[in-house]
Amino acid sequence: MTIVRTSLRNFFAHKGRMVLSGLAVVLSVAFVCGTLVFTDTMNSTFDKLFGDTAADVSVEPGGDGASGGGEMPSTGRPETLPASLVGRAGAVEGAGEAFGVAATMAVTVVDAEGENIGPTTGAPTIAANWTELDRRAMTVTAGHPPRGPDEVMVDSDTAEKHGIGLGDELRTVSAFGEFTSRVVGIATWQVTNPGAAALYYETGVVQERLLGGGEVFTSVAVLAADGVTDELLKQNVRAAVGEELSVLTAAESAERNKEGIGSFLDVMKYALLGFAGIALLVGVFLIVNTFSMLVAQRTRELGLMRAIGADRRQVGRSVVIEALLLGVVGSVLGVAAGVGVAVGLMRLMGLLGMTLSTDDLTVGWATPVVGVVLGVVVTLLAAWLPARRAGRVSPMAALRDAGVSADGRSGRVRAVAGVALTGAGAAALVGAAGAAEAGPGALYLSVGVLLTLLGFVLVGPLLARVVVRALSVVVLRVWGPVGRLAERNALRNPRRTGATAAALMIGLALVAGLSVVGSSMVASGRAEVDRTVGADFIVSSMAGQPLTPQVAESLKDVPELAHVTEYRSLDELTLTLPDGGTARGSVSAASPTYARDVRAETVAGELAGAFEPGGMSVGEEFADAHGLGVGDRLGVAFPGGRSGELEIRAVTSAEAMIDQGVMYVGLRTAEEYVPAERMPLNTLMLGTAVEGQESAAYAALKAELERYPQYEVRDQAAYKQLLEDQVGQLLNMVYGLLALAIIVAVLGVVNTLALSVVERTREIGLLRAVGLSRRQLRRMVRLESVVIALFGALLGLGLGLAWGVAGQRLLALEGLRTLEIPWVTIGGVFLGSAVVGLVAALLPAFRAGRMNVLRAIATE
Amino acid sequence: MTTAVANPRAGGAGGGTAVAAQARQVVKAYGSGETRVVALDRVDVDIARGAFTAIMGPSGSGKSTLMHCLAGLDIVTSGQIRVGDTEITGLKEKRLTRLRRDHIGFVFQSFNLLPTLTALENITLPMDIAGRRPDRAWLDRVVETVGLRQRLRHRPSELSGGQQQRVAVARALAARPDIIFGDEPTGNLDSRAGAEVLGFLRRSVDELGQTMVMVTHDPVAAAYADRVLYLADGRLVDEMLRPTAEMVLDRMKAFDTLGRVS
Repeated sequence: MTIVRTSLRNFFAHKGRMVLSGLAVVLSVAFVCGTLVFTDTMNSTFDKLFGDTAADVSVEPGGDGASGGGEMPSTGRPETLPASLVGRAGAVEGAGEAFGVAATMAVTVVDAEGENIGPTTGAPTIAANWTELDRRAMTVTAGHPPRGPDEVMVDSDTAEKHGIGLGDELRTVSAFGEFTSRVVGIATWQVTNPGAAALYYETGVVQERLLGGGEVFTSVAVLAADGVTDELLKQNVRAAVGEELSVLTAAESAERNKEGIGSFLDVMKYALLGFAGIALLVGVFLIVNTFSMLVAQRTRELGLMRAIGADRRQVGRSVVIEALLLGVVGSVLGVAAGVGVAVGLMRLMGLLGMTLSTDDLTVGWATPVVGVVLGVVVTLLAAWLPARRAGRVSPMAALRDAGVSADGRSGRVRAVAGVALTGAGAAALVGAAGAAEAGPGALYLSVGVLLTLLGFVLVGPLLARVVVRALSVVVLRVWGPVGRLAERNALRNPRRTGATAAALMIGLALVAGLSVVGSSMVASGRAEVDRTVGADFIVSSMAGQPLTPQVAESLKDVPELAHVTEYRSLDELTLTLPDGGTARGSVSAASPTYARDVRAETVAGELAGAFEPGGMSVGEEFADAHGLGVGDRLGVAFPGGRSGELEIRAVTSAEAMIDQGVMYVGLRTAEEYVPAERMPLNTLMLGTAVEGQESAAYAALKAELERYPQYEVRDQAAYKQLLEDQVGQLLNMVYGLLALAIIVAVLGVVNTLALSVVERTREIGLLRAVGLSRRQLRRMVRLESVVIALFGALLGLGLGLAWGVAGQRLLALEGLRTLEIPWVTIGGVFLGSAVVGLVAALLPAFRAGRMNVLRAIATE
Repeated sequence: MTTAVANPRAGGAGGGTAVAAQARQVVKAYGSGETRVVALDRVDVDIARGAFTAIMGPSGSGKSTLMHCLAGLDIVTSGQIRVGDTEITGLKEKRLTRLRRDHIGFVFQSFNLLPTLTALENITLPMDIAGRRPDRAWLDRVVETVGLRQRLRHRPSELSGGQQQRVAVARALAARPDIIFGDEPTGNLDSRAGAEVLGFLRRSVDELGQTMVMVTHDPVAAAYADRVLYLADGRLVDEMLRPTAEMVLDRMKAFDTLGRVS
């Protein structure tokens, strides 16, 4: 009991010193909980949306990959059902009402300014008829639902975003052409709309102009009569419509609708949790340091406790109890802050165009449990080592002047272990760089990253002596004696300096490693475009909409173009191997000119041959895996049911970034086997200008596409820029998330300095007495901080460069052939960390400067 | 009170006046109203240049406070203090720091040295801070005087308590300050090591012409001084020239009985 009481007293006596470690726990736990709350909220938002808008039973087209408007069909033509099914499904026993739903996502809607009003977030634009199901989720707040062929109703979010009002004209573009309608109504969501744009037309309009004509629907909704379960109704409907169609209960269709989004949410959740984990790891260093310093400062006190009869375990336990308190307080605050983080994330999504309502904020029971358990366990683990050290304080310490005991032996063990781990890790990285296959290489890489990180953490204190001295020569010596004092302070306790710097090292190593891979990716991409792309222009859409036939035709008519290449993805097809086995492979059909436009490197055969009738190409990996070569024949099951036997005329290199592993067939070959209505639209088109007319062609293409804001034409320079932008965006996102770990690390620097200043009160008093000015004193603290930060940056950047280079070498197998080290970024991070050091020192330096000389001298 | 201040025995090394530091009607009070405590009550003191002055008195007599005020470590409530030709009352913190750095040396009871610096670096610390080059010949002489030649590269933790205090004395001497203040400089040492350190202080006055002010409650230590000032209840109550340990002890006993009677 006494132990608990002492711990409590200590905890509250030193609560100021606990603040920063507590903050580290709070931040990490908040991020974990925030992620959980955020993804839970997203999940329940979608559940509600899909649950509310699903019919009790719906009938959708069956067959392979059917999705009844749930996905964007590559043909631009949603699969449909005959309208007669409505009557059949509605007549079954237990059915209350049945109606047809005509909906498609294969549309683009353009406002009067020629702007695409669809969402930019990847959420769909949905064009549909206004049915009972929609009325459940929306109410008409202005005007009325569409009643005539020229009328359209828009959802309020989209209307607001694009300033659309009643009477405005909208142009709807689909694979079947385009038409203009007048806005007659605005409907407001009653459930949270996560960002889709919804447009409602008269049923006939959707059927005629968006589904290809005829009495068809994309699904049939059946509502159950009172007392009839969805399951029972499903059975009855199934019996009435036959086995070929898919029949789903409300729960099943909600589930199916959520599949795609759910996996996206999962990826997001684990990515966010991963970054939270890194921050937590960094927080561990902070906590270890805090408790180590508190134990060191209390050596005499602990010795006294030992002298008056407390045993080792009791003394150790007193530290553990303090950690427990810190963990509990920090985690509970963290859980609360996590809700705030979730709201923040939701706002952020709002900025990106995804509307989420805080009304749906979902805090699952698991969230606080995970948060508190995680926070407490991590804090306890981090305090374990200092607690053991506290237990080892001898009773003699009570009598001695509070001196720092040098721990020579464990230092040596640590150094040996650290060097061994670093060596093993380096060997693994070299192994990864030289790996001949991606699989084992990735394993080597991750083992190497882990071991070198651990090794660096262990040898950090050892390196501190060397590196800090070297840094001092460059950075500190110019400041004369103050610089020397700062250097000595940084070196005084290398373990502390090492741990503080290690925290910073982790985040910066990841930044450096990823920046190397990222810029190598850009450089390799540019190099590959230069090397292989012969076409002058690339036409594609960012959101993945295929090019409608009208656009394709109009591009072909641009007179400044020498030729235009079409490119259609046939997606995963089943292939029959010469030995009778089957395999899957993604097949693309392109014009023969593709061989000139994208000079994909081949390891065997001529690519041009693949585009001739009866020919195809396969990727190197596929060929190796199945023992195929030029001249072998493959059976290809094309969409629409027909199969053809094609001869392999070329094997493409695996070391490619563009179309890696894709099998090519000629467009004519595909047209031979695929019926016109099952032929996918162009996913992209390539154009080559008539010699000398490049800029005129570029202008003409741009003019041609002006009416279609969903598509964009890029010349090679713009295409390379796009690659760079995409990689840059991804990197920025990752850097943003790593910022959390870096913030925690900076807190660690602040913490170490603040506690050091307290620990060195008497020294500071002495320095001030013998004439060190406040400014000099503050500078001393700042310089120490800078040197610690630079030390951490140096370790982190060095480590990250090694990781990045090993990663690039490994990814060279996948086409990442050019190594580019972003020296500007690396240098910027290094200098930035000096600034970080300065910022971290602000408060401790201020406190040191404010210290009363007399009181400082008198401090025990 | 001024009557209690005798003329100094000797002039010091350099300097225009015979007085190295001077306190006039110095009052130092803590708190206010009912809880007001007066640590120094209208004290007048002249510290003679080139002499060794000891300040004695029981605990709470204000002797440390007087020293702190004279040294510019503490700020007086009223009255004036001059160090050399400088009036230091009312000086800004920055100027005070510079005054301490350039004109005053310190030897504290303990924790005199920075653990991260070697003995030599500790000795030259005030000059380093000031950005001045130490006078090599003088530094040699100081190091010789305190007998630390063999220990200059050692860290404080590798030195004995007596050696550490000698380094502190060397540091105070090396910068050639106008005055060195010692706050119980031998308080933590055994008698032999204490005698050694006091010997150096004495020699620094005799041989180097240093002005020295030492706060102590040890009659043996006070006997090394040229002159002893007695403080009681924040007032200067007596002084003694060319003291011996017995004389100091007797005087203190007398104060003690006096204090008990009154």
